[in-house]
Amino acid sequence: MSTTPTMQSRLKLNRPSLRKLARPPKQRTPLGTDFNAANLPVALALQHCRDCGSVQYPPRELCRQCLGDALVWRATAGSGSLVSRVELHHSLWEYFKRRLAEKPWPVASVRLDCGVIVFAHLALQTFDSEAPGTLAADTAVQVFTHTDCSLNAVMIAVAASTPTASRSQRHAIAAGLGLLEPAIKPEGI
Amino acid sequence: MKDYAGVALTTPVSFGYARQSPHGAAWFIGSVLRQLLAASGLGPDDIDGLAVSSFSLGADSAITLTQHFQLSPRWIEQMPYGGASGILALRRAARAIQAGDAEIIACIGGDGAAHRSFEGTAANFSNFTIDASFPYGAGGPNAAFAMITQRYMDEFGARREDFGAISVAQRYNANHYPAALLGHKTLTLEQYLAARPIASPVHLLDCVMPCAGGEGFLVMSEERARSLGLEWCKILAADELHNAHRDDDIQLRGGWTEYVDRLWNRAGFGPDEVDMLQTYDDYPVISMLQMEDLGFCAKGEAPGWVRDTDLRFDGSGPQARKLPHNTSGGQLSVGQAGAAAGYLGVVESMRQLTGSAGANQVAQARHAMVSGFGMINYDRGLCSAAAILARSER
Repeated sequence: MSTTPTMQSRLKLNRPSLRKLARPPKQRTPLGTDFNAANLPVALALQHCRDCGSVQYPPRELCRQCLGDALVWRATAGSGSLVSRVELHHSLWEYFKRRLAEKPWPVASVRLDCGVIVFAHLALQTFDSEAPGTLAADTAVQVFTHTDCSLNAVMIAVAASTPTASRSQRHAIAAGLGLLEPAIKPEGI
Repeated sequence: MKDYAGVALTTPVSFGYARQSPHGAAWFIGSVLRQLLAASGLGPDDIDGLAVSSFSLGADSAITLTQHFQLSPRWIEQMPYGGASGILALRRAARAIQAGDAEIIACIGGDGAAHRSFEGTAANFSNFTIDASFPYGAGGPNAAFAMITQRYMDEFGARREDFGAISVAQRYNANHYPAALLGHKTLTLEQYLAARPIASPVHLLDCVMPCAGGEGFLVMSEERARSLGLEWCKILAADELHNAHRDDDIQLRGGWTEYVDRLWNRAGFGPDEVDMLQTYDDYPVISMLQMEDLGFCAKGEAPGWVRDTDLRFDGSGPQARKLPHNTSGGQLSVGQAGAAAGYLGVVESMRQLTGSAGANQVAQARHAMVSGFGMINYDRGLCSAAAILARSER
């Protein structure tokens, strides 16, 4: 019996850098998978409290305002403003490491008008400026979710004027970020 | 709040700093304990209290460690509070000593650094991290702190040179502290500015280096410390507040603002009479928040304040105002040994105040302010803690 396949599968499991295909982080908590499911049919769904109306993010078991057990997923407007933004030149995850090798990965912190702070992949191509450092704090943005190639819903922030009403428009922006395809290393396992 | 009269902090120990290590957390924690016993002349059965902080215990905990080390404590704490661990440990332990719940408490922070272990810790740090921050670039703490750094620069006009002043002065201190992992290298502002970007605006020399190591000290009554012939220091004031300013969009201040006046009141003096400041320096911007919130300068003025202040331990810099800051080099130059990093400033202050610091000794050190900050759950650090320590007058 050859030991090669065993060694190969071991390396594939334990050494992400040797894999042919690298994808964004797959892991979520059970609430995170609820977020994924709730976001399939709409541009952005967040937990709302049926009792006090407050909006929650990141996903919670109970309402952060009233501690009530009456959270429901509702379609939510994605309008907001930039709190801060960075360009990642280094990552702990193989998928991003490969993307970073081409150009830095921009991430934004956004305050949505509904009152929550979200981290989002920043679609720089929708803004006039090139580098995140030149985007002023409080710049108006729009946030929506799209399913990435790890089958998780992820937040994407675009310039406020960007048309995102249709699924195909949102799909094109997510594709432009490279989120819909794994990062490929042709000689990998 | 009751004062901390009669409580002695003794026997500062720093142990085993290494960039990577085949040893687990129990090896570092146990080794610190061994050194605490050797330095104090106590035996294992004299230790009746144990406080432990670690990120890398895996399936173990403070209680399972008692069997590893054959201890029988009647007081035990496990404190997963990251960069606030040391100050929280000394507060809890001091109260236990005052209440008579324990007589000699070993407070220890220690972590291993196995290959790729930092990646695992960052990816699984908390539920909010898993769902809402790690998937966005997997930058780990660098990303959250870069957000804060960028906004701080936007709001207050801070420049990279200002952050660099902190890193460069700390490296000078580390050059005089043999255990610092980066202490063998000098650092100039030009080298600092030329470092590669990590999560811009954060560059390589703004980031702490994860490593293995352990830190610890003993807490007991002053009578006990005197009878054992140990040097000690005392707690003039200490406080903590967690998840403060929770409605701020981004963290440009910490919980310190809410209790800083009480701290100085209890100590009976102000920032001018502090001989050293040990901030939690996982990134220079966080040290700036502490300098501001602890009353050394006003909000937003830390960039100018660090330009005009000599932060070296020996006051050899050109600036007229002197305040030794992170006198062993801080985490930026010593390394961030997981939860032990939350002990670094406490243990270093204890060495300084008991006159046992060695080549980086601050002359005539009487008072030290130590500050802790910890646990980036999502977009901000949740823990804040600070203590004012003083040399004992025997």
